[in-house]
Amino acid sequence: MELRTKRSVIGILGILFLISLIFVQWMEVVRKQEESGRREAPVAVPATSQACVDCHRNAQPGIVAHWEGSTHARKGIGCADCHKAEEGDADGFAHYGAHIATIVTPRDCGKCHQKEAEQFASSHHSKAGNILASLDNFLAETVEGSRVPFDPHGATPGMSVVKVHGMASAESGCQQCHGSKVALLGADGNRIGMDELKPDEHGRPTDLNAVARISRSEDGKPLFHAGTWPNTGIGRINLDGSRGSCSACHSRHDFSPRRARQPENCAKCHLGPDHPQKEIYDESKHGVAYRDLKERMNLDAEAWVLGRDYTAAPTCATCHMSANTRDPVTHDPGERISWTNRPPISVKMDTDAEHRIVTEADPEKRRAQIADTSEQKRTRMKNVCGHCHAPEYVNGFYKQYDALVVLYNEKFARPGQRLMAVLLEQGLRTKTEFDEEVEWTWFYLWHHEGRRARHGASMMAPDYTHWHGMFEVAERFYMELIPQAREIAAHAIAHGREAQGKAVYAAIDEILARPEHKWFKEGAEGQTEAIRKAMQERYGQGSSGGAKEP
Amino acid sequence: MPGPVAWLRERLPVSGARLQELTNEPVPNHLRRWWFCLGGTPAYLFVVMIVTGILLALYYESSPARAYESVRHITEEVAFGWYLRSLHKWAATLMIASVILHQMRVFFTGAYRKPRELNWFVGMSLLLCTLMTGFTGYSLVYEQLSFWGATVGANIAETVPVVGLHLKRLLLAGDAYNTQTLPRFFVIHAAVLPATIIGLLALHVAILRLQGISELEFEDEPEGRPKTYDFFPDHFYTELIIGLVLMVLLSALATVLPAELGPKADPLVTPEVIKPEWFFYVTFRWLKLFPGVAAVLSMGFILFVMFVWPLIDAAVRRRRPDSEFSVWVGIAAVILIVGLTVWEGVVAH
Repeated sequence: MELRTKRSVIGILGILFLISLIFVQWMEVVRKQEESGRREAPVAVPATSQACVDCHRNAQPGIVAHWEGSTHARKGIGCADCHKAEEGDADGFAHYGAHIATIVTPRDCGKCHQKEAEQFASSHHSKAGNILASLDNFLAETVEGSRVPFDPHGATPGMSVVKVHGMASAESGCQQCHGSKVALLGADGNRIGMDELKPDEHGRPTDLNAVARISRSEDGKPLFHAGTWPNTGIGRINLDGSRGSCSACHSRHDFSPRRARQPENCAKCHLGPDHPQKEIYDESKHGVAYRDLKERMNLDAEAWVLGRDYTAAPTCATCHMSANTRDPVTHDPGERISWTNRPPISVKMDTDAEHRIVTEADPEKRRAQIADTSEQKRTRMKNVCGHCHAPEYVNGFYKQYDALVVLYNEKFARPGQRLMAVLLEQGLRTKTEFDEEVEWTWFYLWHHEGRRARHGASMMAPDYTHWHGMFEVAERFYMELIPQAREIAAHAIAHGREAQGKAVYAAIDEILARPEHKWFKEGAEGQTEAIRKAMQERYGQGSSGGAKEP
Repeated sequence: MPGPVAWLRERLPVSGARLQELTNEPVPNHLRRWWFCLGGTPAYLFVVMIVTGILLALYYESSPARAYESVRHITEEVAFGWYLRSLHKWAATLMIASVILHQMRVFFTGAYRKPRELNWFVGMSLLLCTLMTGFTGYSLVYEQLSFWGATVGANIAETVPVVGLHLKRLLLAGDAYNTQTLPRFFVIHAAVLPATIIGLLALHVAILRLQGISELEFEDEPEGRPKTYDFFPDHFYTELIIGLVLMVLLSALATVLPAELGPKADPLVTPEVIKPEWFFYVTFRWLKLFPGVAAVLSMGFILFVMFVWPLIDAAVRRRRPDSEFSVWVGIAAVILIVGLTVWEGVVAH
């Protein structure tokens, strides 16, 4: 090759190399723009959803943008794939040539995510809607609100209020976590929900009269009962008979696994005075580590397996649901929980084949009913713990946790429950809850403070266990529950119901005569000094052993 | 006040003429043919590896707990990280390929013969160092292949009689893969082997310069053409063209086929199919064909024969000067290497 030719070749190759570097720079810029959200990642819209995307990009650009950022979009799952309705579906309607439904239920998601839908269906989460007939619901619908619409006291300037909708607290509060019973609006103004539609095993309504009564807009779209939709409560009872809402955790329309893995996602519901799991987690070492090491959590990983994809810190999902090197992912958080701390008295999570807690006390019958023991559940949780803690450490923690739950159960919950039962048996309180002070007292004790103590111990948050928990339980018990019960008894005796009043006194005396309550009845003058002495012996001279009396 | 050139010349007393003489050695005519310029290719690629390797090392963490995550960080988050990693990977692949091609050319043209036996030994050492660098390199990613490749490699080393266990311990920093293994691999990959390669390369080039390039004559050489041509600028341009072609090729490969990241190493889960990188396919297939010690010993023997081939060839040629023995052995070896590599490549297990 001639020298001149070589020079030309070098020139051309040099330019080519330069172009390749410019190309690399362009790729990098595009990548960074996509990452920071300044540029949309390329998405191939499926043909069946092209019209939806074109129209809704103008009407609801957020929905389309969220979907474009989803794994669904990258894998070619479009609007029509999820929203497609079958002929005969109660909420199906014709929409620009397609037959669709507004609500996507777990039955719909389960067409592709079958295993996840099945696990979810057997979980406590999916049954969260059962609260619709519970004490909490009575609180929201009756105590806080009113089951019957009532007249306003006066005018609301700027708004016409003919009747007050008494269910508002239940609908905007309870049901947004627990789930509503989704209903369509009947022509007569009544609800047409699952009970009226009577869906078959495929979710199609069998009561066609009910279907015929559904109110529709001018373009044929069925109208929802406003109190029941919108709703993403995790135990939502759907028109097709399925229970739950996948979007409770996997927010639509990006269905981000990353978000579902973060504790903030669970905190839509798991916080507040009665079950502050998120705050408890925040206080724990786990939460502290998560906040510090979030960027090392590999939250975008495909499978997100503890011990393989990350080890920096656990989130709610890590312990209760996500995969680890020993167990697969589950959509039933109950599979790893060994106590239920929801009821007034904590119960071991021995469950039957239907995932219901076994309440049978007879050991033999109980054994026969149990399909999955609390110990098996605990072993699964220990498998998670074992990625970062030695077995002795984990077993030690569980001893401490069990001890706290049993202490709460035995010292305060059982006596408190008994006292409430005696008051009822003796006719000294009504069957109606929350109409007497003692009922509020008891509710605060177990539903708020008692749960805080137990949840605090379950997730290693000392302040929630003690100051927000057992301390307040004790105060509520000794300073309110016992005095209020005594007051009721005294009032009964003063008003000629001596036997009933004495029965309450007897119950109180029996409780307070027990060694764990003796200090309250007989005093404990020597105890402070004894504790101080023991502390001095243990830690040496000058140790205060905590706050001293003035 | 003296100018910068005079200032420098005062401190570096090398005359321009001497420098020109040093750098402008006459180049034999056969190097006008592109096929014969492959020797410089691995050196180019080696430089690319050093530069990209240093940049990758700024982000890489060599502990089992962090290695995979740091590689993921490099690939997904660091600016141009994916490009650097892909360049590094492709440069390694091309370097191994070009070293093998260079060696084949040297073998078939008999360029290892007297007095160039020493340079063959150095070349063989460079080949082994390059393969070792490849092996330790893909072990650093800490994906399944990294972990199990290292484990299998160490188990193979253990089967070597007498010193096997020591070899394994030397490799793994213990009896099994542990937290010290990866740091050890990193030091070997990023310091020990590159330093050795630089030393051997210097020796390789020094011997080459001392003895001159073996000259080949071709029948189609034009009559009356001088037997050599200038290094500068003629051959320098050739090398520049090769370098630029390589850079464009590397850049294209890195963007079209960027380095992927397999599943993270899991000591508890043995992969169903485990295969090393392509350049170890031949060894891997060989080891599968024969039982443990026999496979390792025969492999060692083949390596030894490759090493001392100039001496064997000389002995054969002393008896039969016109023998084409080495060519036939070479052809058989190439068929065997390609055959075993393809075999390993196409079968599932």
